[in-house]
This record gives sequence, structure tokens and C-alpha cells, in this order.
Amino acid sequence: MSDPLDALEKSIGTLRRAIRDAAAAGNTERAGELRMQLRRAERAWDALLDTDEPVATTPRPVPEAAPAALGSQLPAREHVHRALMLLRAPAAPKLIVGVHEAFFPGELSASKLSSLRRDEERSYRSSPGARPYYLCPALSHDLLTPVRALISISTWTLEQRVIGPLSPRGDFLTSAIGIAEAVRTATESATDGPSPEALRLLWRFAVSIPDALPKNASGHESALDAQQVIDAALAELEVHTDADRATRVAAARRARKSLGDDEQLFGAPLRGVTHLRSARA
Amino acid sequence: MRKPVDDRLTALRGSAKRLDYSARSLAALENNPRCTLRALLDASGSDKVAIATHAGHPPSFGQSSFAITRGNAFEAMVKDNGCAELLRVLRETLELTLPEVGYEDLNDAGGDGRSKERHERTEEVLLRAARGEGDGTLFDHPMLRLQIGGHKAYLEPDLVAFRIDGRFHVVEIKSFPIIDEQAAPSQVRAATTQACAYIIALRDLLGRAGIGEETVSDTIVLVAPKDFTNRPTGAFVDARKQVAALTRQLSRIERIGDLVDLLPEDLTFDLAPDAEDRPRRPAEELTEALDQVLATYRPDCLTHCEMAFYCRSRARAEASLDVLGPAVREQFGGIDTTTMVMGLARGELAPSEDQVEMAAALRHAARLRAELEDLGGAA
Repeated sequence: MSDPLDALEKSIGTLRRAIRDAAAAGNTERAGELRMQLRRAERAWDALLDTDEPVATTPRPVPEAAPAALGSQLPAREHVHRALMLLRAPAAPKLIVGVHEAFFPGELSASKLSSLRRDEERSYRSSPGARPYYLCPALSHDLLTPVRALISISTWTLEQRVIGPLSPRGDFLTSAIGIAEAVRTATESATDGPSPEALRLLWRFAVSIPDALPKNASGHESALDAQQVIDAALAELEVHTDADRATRVAAARRARKSLGDDEQLFGAPLRGVTHLRSARA
Repeated sequence: MRKPVDDRLTALRGSAKRLDYSARSLAALENNPRCTLRALLDASGSDKVAIATHAGHPPSFGQSSFAITRGNAFEAMVKDNGCAELLRVLRETLELTLPEVGYEDLNDAGGDGRSKERHERTEEVLLRAARGEGDGTLFDHPMLRLQIGGHKAYLEPDLVAFRIDGRFHVVEIKSFPIIDEQAAPSQVRAATTQACAYIIALRDLLGRAGIGEETVSDTIVLVAPKDFTNRPTGAFVDARKQVAALTRQLSRIERIGDLVDLLPEDLTFDLAPDAEDRPRRPAEELTEALDQVLATYRPDCLTHCEMAFYCRSRARAEASLDVLGPAVREQFGGIDTTTMVMGLARGELAPSEDQVEMAAALRHAARLRAELEDLGGAA
């Protein structure tokens, strides 16, 4: 349960540094924007910490859960949040469910995810900012419209949530690192090591990263070395990161300039008939 | 004075709604180019399933829902997580370089799923890529458009078109296996033919912006499961011949008027449906109309044409050699029916001048067969 918290703390740290930089550069608009994000991140951090206290937040009185089942009573959105914090990048419902099954207890189905996304937007629109975080779509870099089937978290920076041409690969590698680290942590700390699902998930990621598999790999999951996957992913990430970052920063700047708060979260309005239809619904 | 071609085609279709060309119906053009019936039905946008059913030969095939599900699942697996598996395949087999990972999703245009909007967006994105702007390498489900016989047909490669060495390649993702680097030839052929339509449409799109057709490779990339696993592998398939054949067929559609002119003025395939879409036209009248058009039946029509069962029964009734397939047919150049073949073999028919040679061969074959039968009888 500490992984999402760690990630949040890291993100809070990054935000604070960015605010300092923006303030130093005299860019008050940007600094204000970042402060908003910082507050959202801090609220998310508080909320996560609360959920770590067993029983207190569970809706029904349940017998004291075994440590392994900790968090299995959480609402679906918390499950999704936790999986996304592990992946550190916008992800498709299928992958979120996969990560959840590999690392966390409790049940989460892809069908639940689709209804969840509508609920999140409705909840935001009825009382903006009431929740510490919202699950919202990633945004396309050119039209700033929601990207099909990619879920992200509102506390992430716009740069993280914008998807450019190179971003799917960059995010894939970032997520591979997240998964590899989670597997490594499980190997080091837990008594029974990472689950078979976790190893399979990591293997699925590793096969499509150059040099991520041991040379003599016989196609078996147990031969995986988490550190090697991390190194390989970092090496390829190095190739894409500059170009990807440039696109994302430019798109995020455009989004801040042209979109309102709610649109920055849920995307620019869709054009044409589909938009009218969804607006009426 | 003949009516303009379009009016004639509309009259052929009758009251039914026009069905546009699809990648499948275009592929059928290349499969059996000589078939006038098919050309007319497609050009007029007639509903072949309804017509074949009413004529008493409902098409009993179609894609199995299991096959479709399997195909979609495999495609989704290949494209999951930013096309991770696809990138691995392309890097391994086609030597795509490390930085070439750009991915553009063209499944909708900013949430708009209509063909026209998607086509406009596809055009914009692909042209940008062709001019070397942007980081696009993989284009997921672009929406292409082809003008066929004055009608727009939207074609959606169920695949990704992308760039290697500055050229566009059409990638076809199929769920039939490549075992020991071999795949079923008929499946590969079907996939290639479909991809040809995409190649032509893509060239058309770029051509309109003044970009030469050499920008689109006529080699397609086939991505399919490797051996008996579910892991994808890739292979190049040369589609030059089929692209040329299909291009020729498409230009022939433009001349559909020549075919229409050969038909009687009042011919129509209208089913005259009532309010509940039940055809009211007598079936005999419909088959009479169909019989006035030349159909070229081939056994492999059964795998791709809705009218195949009707045409087969017609070919059988006429004792046509078509039923036996092109291999047999070609052996009997100049002879059309089995009755004539048998007649010549038994010496009951007098061969015409150009049949003399064939008749001699047939009589020789008949003699050999009779001798074998005698031997069989004695043993």
C-alpha cells in the first residue's frame, strides 16, 4: 500500500520544485496552476493515508481483515487509483485490471471501470473539487479531446495526462518500470514473493522491450530479472523521452490557455453530432 | 436513346437501399473478374444476400461469429499497450528502428466516429506524415476512401499503415497461424487482396495531394500468430500482381456502362418488398431476370460470393464445365458443357473443325477407360 503513497510524495516534491521554478521565473499564472495541482495531490495523499487505516473507512462493519486482504473492501475507484499509481501513466482498463489482479486483493472488473468513468465526471460536475482526486481520461495532444479508453488521475500534471504520438510507447516503458519495481519489492519483502500473475504481467511487458530478457531465457517467467527490465526500459525511454516531452509540454501549455478547469480534466468538447448527443444524454 | 448509366443501375437495384462497396466486395472483383452478374450487382449496390435468398439459394456461409471474435481478440492483443507486441514484431522482422514508435489512433476523430470525419482526420494526419512532419509511425485504423463508379466507398484497414524507410506499408493483422513460416495460401491470398484495396485507396489519398504512388509500398506486412502459439510474427507479402489486377478491375467498373448497354431496358433485380421487407416479386420472375445476365461460376466463388449457390445450380443445370473448376475447364478449350464432352468421347457427336484434336484426345481417353474397366471386370 506504500507504493501509491511513495509515488504521490514524489509527485508532490516535483510539483513543489516546479512551483519554485515558476515563481523564480516570474510566471505567476503557471505557479497558480501548479499550486492547484499541488493541493489536489496533497488531498489525494491525505485520502490514501486514511484508507490505509483498516476498517475505519469500510462502509460495512466487517471482521478485522487479514493483512493480505488489506484494502480489498475499497471502492472500485480506489482500486483503479492504486493500480494507476503503480503504473505511473495513463492506462487502458484491461491493463488496470491486470495490474490489480497481479498486485492487489479484491475484485475489479473491466465492466465496472466503464461505469466508473461516467460516475467520476458526473460527480465532478455536480460538486467540483469535492473529492481528493478524480479518474479522468487522458487527453489527445492535438485536439485535446479525451483519448479512447485511457484512464488517468486528476492529480497528475497535464504533461503526464496528454498523449502525443510517442507517449503510448513512453508510458508503456514507464509502466514497465513501475511493474518491475513492484515485482522487485515483492521479491525482497513478501514472504511468498511476487504472485504468478505479477511475473506473467512483467514478462508480457519485458518481451517487447529490447534486451529486457536474460540472454539464455527459455521463455520462462521465473528467469526474469526485474532490475534488467528496469535498465532496458530506461535505455529505450532515453531514446524517446525528449521528443515526447516536448510534444506533451507544448500541448499542456495549449490546454491551460484554451481549456477551462473541467475541460482540462475531462477533455475539450467533442465536435459534431457525437458531442450533441452526449450533451443531451 | 439510352438512359444514363446511373439511372440504369438504380433501376437494376430497384427500390432497395444502395449498398456501398466494401473491402470484401472489392476483393471479390479481383477473385472472379469475368463475372458479369457479380459486377452488375455490386455496381448497382444490390443486396446480394436478399436476392440469392429469394431466388431459392440462400448463402449458407458468412463469417462465423467465433472467427470474428477470435480475429478481434488477436488484433486487440497485438495492439495492446501502445502496440507493444506489434512493435516487437516489426523490430524483429522488419528492422524498424528504436525511435520509430509514434502511434496515432484514428479510430475516431476527437470522439467522432463517423466515416466522413474520420476520413478527413486520416487525410490530415497521413499527409502530415508523408511530408515528414510529426512523429507518426503507426496509424491505427485509418479511414480511407475510394471513388468507385461515381460512388464513395469507405475502406478501413483493420490494421495499421506505417512508415519504414520513408514508405507507407499496409499492415494486415490476421488470426490464421503462420506455421514454420508457411500460412494457408488461400487465407494469405484473401488477406492480400483485401490489403490491395487499401494500397490503392492510400495511393489515391496521397496522389490527390501530389505525392507519388511509390510512397506506398506494394508489399504488405502480414502479422499473424506464430506456429501454434498466440504470439504474433510478421512477414512480407508481395502484392504487386494483385494490386495491378484490382486496379484494372476498378477501371473496368468505370466502364460498367458497356455492360449495362448489353442488357434489356426493363431488366431489374428489384424484389419489390412490402412494408415489412418481405419480397413480393415472384421468385420465378427474379430468376428469369438473373438468367439474362452472364454469370461465370467457379468453385471458389463459394468462399466469397453470396450468389455462388445460385450460380452453381445454374451451371449444373446447364451441364457447364464451370462446375469442375478452372483446371478442368482449361483442358477443354472451346468446349463448354459436359454433355458435349461425353458426346465427343463416345463419338456420338461430330466434332467441328477446331474440336477435332480435342475429340481425338477424348476418344483415346474413353478407350483407355474402357480397357481399364474390362481389366477390372476380369480380375
